[in-house]
Amino acid sequence: MSSYVKNFGGHVRAVLTGLKYLVKPNRITVYYPEYYVEPPEGYRGMIKYYPEKCIQCGLCAMICPAGAMKMYVKKGEKKGRPGVNYQRCIFCGFCVDICPQDALEMTKVHDVAFSSLEELVFPPEKLAVEVQSPALLRGAVKVKPVFDEERGLRHE
Amino acid sequence: MGLVEWIVRLVLSPGVFAPVIFPGLLTALAVLLIVIWAERKIAARVQMRVGPLYVTRHFGGVLQMLADGTRYMFQEFIVPETADKVPYMLAPALALTLAIAPFALIPSAPGFAPVKSPYSLPALLAILASTPLSVLLMGWSSNNKFSIQGAVREAFMTLAYEVPLFLSALSMAILYGSMDLEEIVGRQFLPGALLNPVAAFTFFVAMVMSSGRLPFDIVEGEQEIVAGPYVEYTGIVFGIGMGLAYLKLYALSLLYSLLFLSGWEPLPRALYSVYPGLAGVWLFAKAFTLMLFVVFLRSVYGRYRLDQALRAGWRVYLVLAVVSILLSCLLRVVVNV
Repeated sequence: MSSYVKNFGGHVRAVLTGLKYLVKPNRITVYYPEYYVEPPEGYRGMIKYYPEKCIQCGLCAMICPAGAMKMYVKKGEKKGRPGVNYQRCIFCGFCVDICPQDALEMTKVHDVAFSSLEELVFPPEKLAVEVQSPALLRGAVKVKPVFDEERGLRHE
Repeated sequence: MGLVEWIVRLVLSPGVFAPVIFPGLLTALAVLLIVIWAERKIAARVQMRVGPLYVTRHFGGVLQMLADGTRYMFQEFIVPETADKVPYMLAPALALTLAIAPFALIPSAPGFAPVKSPYSLPALLAILASTPLSVLLMGWSSNNKFSIQGAVREAFMTLAYEVPLFLSALSMAILYGSMDLEEIVGRQFLPGALLNPVAAFTFFVAMVMSSGRLPFDIVEGEQEIVAGPYVEYTGIVFGIGMGLAYLKLYALSLLYSLLFLSGWEPLPRALYSVYPGLAGVWLFAKAFTLMLFVVFLRSVYGRYRLDQALRAGWRVYLVLAVVSILLSCLLRVVVNV
């Protein structure tokens, strides 16, 4: 009998806790297209390619563990230039590490969402263009994650 | 002119106004859309999320459920080849009819009951008790292992909640000495929840069980049996299956307000003098607040197992219902309401 009374008290406490959070919500959602969380330094986002530095050695395509890097050979040329297929890319950064000329680099852009599968394949010409976050282009507000003593994680 | 007058008088007569406008079909539909949205929004608030937002951004996404319903409307209605066709098509219609029928017995103001009967309380409970049959039929005719599992769970749950629900409602009938809902409200000098808190608590839990909301979300059991008895249904019929539980909850909330929260009292005299059907504003407000509390429980509890729910129904709430009957008898003798 006493266990039933104790259980009832526990139920009441649970409901009161829920009501507390209902009155004072502790949201940690970032409204993504309107707000943009600034990634930290050294973030491995989408890849940028500098064709003028490239010596067309093909090491990046060889080391790519997911088979996302491919060498695109133009007609009349012997060697190709790297292109990335983002359907496969796992953003490990091996291609950037192994490049002897630093012709590849990781940008901080992480919006790898497109409306069709074909758009995810970046040939060398497209890879050489500076990538921009579509959210930032639409005028998103940049926010940073801040650790708060009371609420845990906040974005401001 | 005579025809227009006749139509207006027909619509405003209690026999049509109550089942069709308030507290019946139209209000029920609006309540359905708002309550499902409110459930998602409340759960999101408690769980550090935002919930539906981008449909009508400025109003917090109120029209989300309307958008979902419209999408259901245009989806293909698939009948499985292995299903038993006639009951498969008939069961949702039967379920919806049985879920709407109780509103024909709920009075919304003094002297404004569509069906004036000295036995309106047991009649209402009887109609509500027959809805599990149609759910059972749905699950059985779908010819699918998940749906038959859901249907059997519904049968088990019916055994768990029906008896405490009836007993706690009838204990109030004993206390007021009447089975007519209108008279029951008329005789409440105090809200019934204060007179007999045991019956109020038992009825509340049985109500949550009956409408299949969490913590007794056992029939649908999303993580275990996909959608229970509604698993083979598509399009708008799936939407009806989803709305069934909420319609049942709405009817039971109205009944709860009438039995335990003194119904439409305090009566808004000004509205009552204009048109008696409008005087049910307080009744609606009480029932809606109660519904919001029931859907809020979703963000607090996990799902009970079937055996736990059955054990609670038989070992705890049946006993509490019997205690509430004894308490009512005692109050009737001592206080003589």
